[in-house]
Amino acid sequence: MQILDILSKIKQRFGATDLVWIDDSGAEPYLAIPRESLRPVALFLKEDPQLFFDTLMSLSGVHQIGEPEGLEVVYHLYSIRRRHRFIVKVRLERPLAFPHFYLRVDTVSDIWPAAGWMEREVYDMFGIHFMGHKDFRRLLLPPDWEGYPLLKDYQEPATYQGISTSREEVEPEEQR
Amino acid sequence: MPLTTEEMILNMGPHHPSTHGVLRFILRTDGEVIYSCHPDVGFLHRGLEKIAEKVSYAQFMPYTDRIDYLAAMNCNLGYAITVERLAGIEVPPRAEYIRVMVAELNRIISHLISVGTFALDIGAVTPFTHALRERERVNDLFEELCGARLTYNYVRFGGVAFDLPAGFLEAVSSFLDYFEPRLAQFNRLISKNKIFKERLWQVGAISAEDALGYSLAGPNLRASGIDWDLRRDESYSVYADLDFEVPVAGTEFGQIGDCYNRYWLRIREMEQSIRILRQCVAAMPAGPFWNRSKRKLKPPPGEIYVRTEAPRGELGYYLISRGDDRPYRMKIRTGSFTAMSIVEKMSPGLMVADLVALIASLDVIAPEIDR
Repeated sequence: MQILDILSKIKQRFGATDLVWIDDSGAEPYLAIPRESLRPVALFLKEDPQLFFDTLMSLSGVHQIGEPEGLEVVYHLYSIRRRHRFIVKVRLERPLAFPHFYLRVDTVSDIWPAAGWMEREVYDMFGIHFMGHKDFRRLLLPPDWEGYPLLKDYQEPATYQGISTSREEVEPEEQR
Repeated sequence: MPLTTEEMILNMGPHHPSTHGVLRFILRTDGEVIYSCHPDVGFLHRGLEKIAEKVSYAQFMPYTDRIDYLAAMNCNLGYAITVERLAGIEVPPRAEYIRVMVAELNRIISHLISVGTFALDIGAVTPFTHALRERERVNDLFEELCGARLTYNYVRFGGVAFDLPAGFLEAVSSFLDYFEPRLAQFNRLISKNKIFKERLWQVGAISAEDALGYSLAGPNLRASGIDWDLRRDESYSVYADLDFEVPVAGTEFGQIGDCYNRYWLRIREMEQSIRILRQCVAAMPAGPFWNRSKRKLKPPPGEIYVRTEAPRGELGYYLISRGDDRPYRMKIRTGSFTAMSIVEKMSPGLMVADLVALIASLDVIAPEIDR
């Protein structure tokens, strides 16, 4: 299916009110959806016999700074049986006054099991909570790590469990 | 009175001969049978995605070597294609052929390590030494080409760093002439070995449904019977002009999706790589090898997701540019990451020794999971 046919099929099913099609020059076009419609849209994309998006290529977090600031969760979908791709983005506002505001989005790990680890990685790096995830923990970083490193305003802690994280602490003769 | 046995928590790794890097598994077992398995990853996390935001486009190229150090050329190539598509850089035909050639050579040696360590993990020590001996020849070729034996940093935006040295094509053909009978010998030694086959048949069979759901990629996906190869289906570089088959698991061996099928597919992929390499050697065009772009590359604002077929499956780069000289965001999606996530699902009911076979057959490599 062509990408615009996929789009019109989704719009037919959900109405065009809060789904925004963004087609900037230079970027791959994508569908921006509000947080609440993520699960219904994802289920529709997976289960509709014509769309049939059977694999999640990639699930990424992005911290967009500037105006307006916010975090994005990007779902790159592909249908191996139907041979077409589609991109869905969920945008989450992070109020400037509350830098540690509790960001939430629903899990899709029951729809695409591959999302299980990908969501854990996004939580690990961006602090976005995926509601309904069965085994929600940090994935790559240790469980007691503070902060979310891929945020643009991340400050690396000076020490981790009493060990310095910077290089200056190394004795000069050990530096060779 | 029924005999009862006690559950035990068993820690496997981080340093274990079968974990292919630094990986840890927390197993809940009853005797030899696994109830649950939780992989604990992240020991090799180096923050490559954060580093990408801090260095310029060209400076990130050496870091891509470290995503998967057994297939550094393929990681270089995927990154170069991503940036070229976003920045609109043309690649001369000679460079395209050189790139495909080094990528396929790297695929062969990566698969050699994979099948060699697989046999080693199962308990056959000799095949590994044979695989390493063959790999050494390609390492010598790469050393001649770019000076490095493991992390090459060879591909550049718009071409490759160095032209082929004199006599390189002949050296590649003589390697292929040497390697093809050796592969048949390797098959006689281990692939067709009755003990090896019966050890792996029907162990850890992944259904097509699970393989798709967990986004498995590359040989692992094809071993579950799904006919899908990015080189053919989302063709990049000059793969469209080359003639090769995509091996897919059939019913001739064991059960579709079991450990033996994953092993056997890698052997068959090496045969196809030999075929591609012979065509590259024959068709290598003359001309420039590098369409040099500005050193401080500034792609236009935009974003792109490009995936290529690395030996461990889909290697995807999700690149966001804001028109700066460095990426705004770079996400790297690797084949090992999704392959590792299915272990949790597949392991209950397996024996501990079969878990070793399952991990080896998925060909996961820890730096690719952790990045």
